[in-house]
Amino acid sequence: MKNWQALVAAVFLFAALFVPLLVPTDYILQILFRVFLFAALGLAWNLVGGYAGQLSLGHAAYFGVGAYGLALFSKLGISPWISVFFGIVLAVICAAMIGTISFRLRGPYFALCTIAFAEVLRLVAKNLPNVTGGDVGAQVPALFTHSATRSFYWAGVLLTAFAFALTAWIERSRFGYYLMAIREDQDTALSVGVNAARCKLWALLISAAITGFGGALYASMFLFIVPDQVLAMDISTEIAIVAMLGGAGTLLGPLLGSVILESSAEIFKTVFKEAHLLIYGVLIVVVVLFMPEGVVGTLTSKLGRFKKAPLAPFAAPAPVAAQEETSRAALNE
Amino acid sequence: MSLLEVKGISKRFGGLKAINDVSFAVKPGEVTFIVGPNGAGKTTLFNLITGVFHPDSGSIHFAGRDISHLTPNEAAQIGIGRTFQIVKPLRNLTVLENVMLGAFLRTSSRAKAEQEATKVLRFLEMEKIMHLPARGMGLPVLKRLEIARALATQPKLILLDEVVAGLPTSEAIKLAMLLKRLPEWGISTIGGIEHVMQVVMRVADRVIVLDHGTLIAEGEPKDVVHRPEVIEAYLGSKYKEIAL
Repeated sequence: MKNWQALVAAVFLFAALFVPLLVPTDYILQILFRVFLFAALGLAWNLVGGYAGQLSLGHAAYFGVGAYGLALFSKLGISPWISVFFGIVLAVICAAMIGTISFRLRGPYFALCTIAFAEVLRLVAKNLPNVTGGDVGAQVPALFTHSATRSFYWAGVLLTAFAFALTAWIERSRFGYYLMAIREDQDTALSVGVNAARCKLWALLISAAITGFGGALYASMFLFIVPDQVLAMDISTEIAIVAMLGGAGTLLGPLLGSVILESSAEIFKTVFKEAHLLIYGVLIVVVVLFMPEGVVGTLTSKLGRFKKAPLAPFAAPAPVAAQEETSRAALNE
Repeated sequence: MSLLEVKGISKRFGGLKAINDVSFAVKPGEVTFIVGPNGAGKTTLFNLITGVFHPDSGSIHFAGRDISHLTPNEAAQIGIGRTFQIVKPLRNLTVLENVMLGAFLRTSSRAKAEQEATKVLRFLEMEKIMHLPARGMGLPVLKRLEIARALATQPKLILLDEVVAGLPTSEAIKLAMLLKRLPEWGISTIGGIEHVMQVVMRVADRVIVLDHGTLIAEGEPKDVVHRPEVIEAYLGSKYKEIAL
């Protein structure tokens, strides 16, 4: 049942290889970069918010730290790609701290806590002009100097392919099972020996690393960042919506969600002009109302319904029935 | 030599004494049932043994080791399995995959976990529905699924909370006959049950009766059910004299 999702994604990513040959315009490639970037971010979010069921609404924190990591380390004279690496490390360290504190909370309190941390980081970045440049912003070095748009497109595709392969592997591993168990019921997970605190933290660290890399790519594409852009609540919600729209906790969900959300945002902008946000909002409301498990989630549960449990589920052997008769007779005496 | 030794444990929740100076022991391979009316403290006692709560006083020893302050996942690791009164399967996964979750405690290999889970499912006569998704299964299946998941962790002791609650009598008895075979696997069982005495009488080697957090009777099932204090706990003091 899961294999069809991997197949669709493989076909999709394979098709992505030929896109630069077919559509040579930078405009289309830029949109597609955004589609793939948010697919990767959605996949990263999905590990925590989908599989482990911990609704994070503060992924902008790791996105922004990755972006600022690239900007600030390269300002110190470190080469851009090594700065990207340091940015990722910094995002992971942030995740370790945020996770250790916020995973003590469950449900909506956890979600609120993640928002709070992201907001704190945004305000810190705004109010430390000597370090981050504050509201004036920070310059980001170009990661690709040669045919930049095309290179960013490839980087986006690669990051998505990596995030997808990682998710596919995790989904079938013990770690993946443990995350899903935590989502369904943390007490049950503990009862089969799952160290829930450690599993959730690992999921967040992996997620933060990918998100931090995504943030660095995004920043480098714009060459210039301000706190209200890369550490904004908008980024957090967009990442979460991409995954939830496609289907949180499904392999294909974030990829599909990003294709739907990012491409429709762009199409609506050209077709509906000023009214595009309205249409965009309506689209999200419609999906949430009619496909609460996301597109992929709803499809799989609709398909799963065809498989019915048999009327007599247990293979009851004869001796038990015989035993039962004698013991019932004994009881009635 | 006892596998589990509970020595004078008490647990308070604010002004309520949920467990009051309870002591008992479970030998390896023994089937013990804890019975008691609603609110007697059965689930609290299970939660104390599995580390969900920690006793305010007294101690719990498992295989010679003090486990009074273990966490729930550590309790599972040292060989204490448990099921919950309210069943909570992973609905999107198949029955087999649900049971593999338990088996993953002893191995990180998918193949080995699958092997162990299949073994447990065979024992519980569930091989026919192994590859179906857990969603949409009825309570009898889900109750067995809970037990299967706990058994797949290869416990030395398994705690079954309200294991037959809500099941039709025929299914309850069928399940009880299966539980009776657990000692063959070298597993001790503690079951918690409110009132399905048919199951208790059939399966239990020993019965412990709790009432308002206090242990009021202990012994073989057929003796315990005739004790006046037990009848009083279930039916009220009016019936004590009638029974006598």
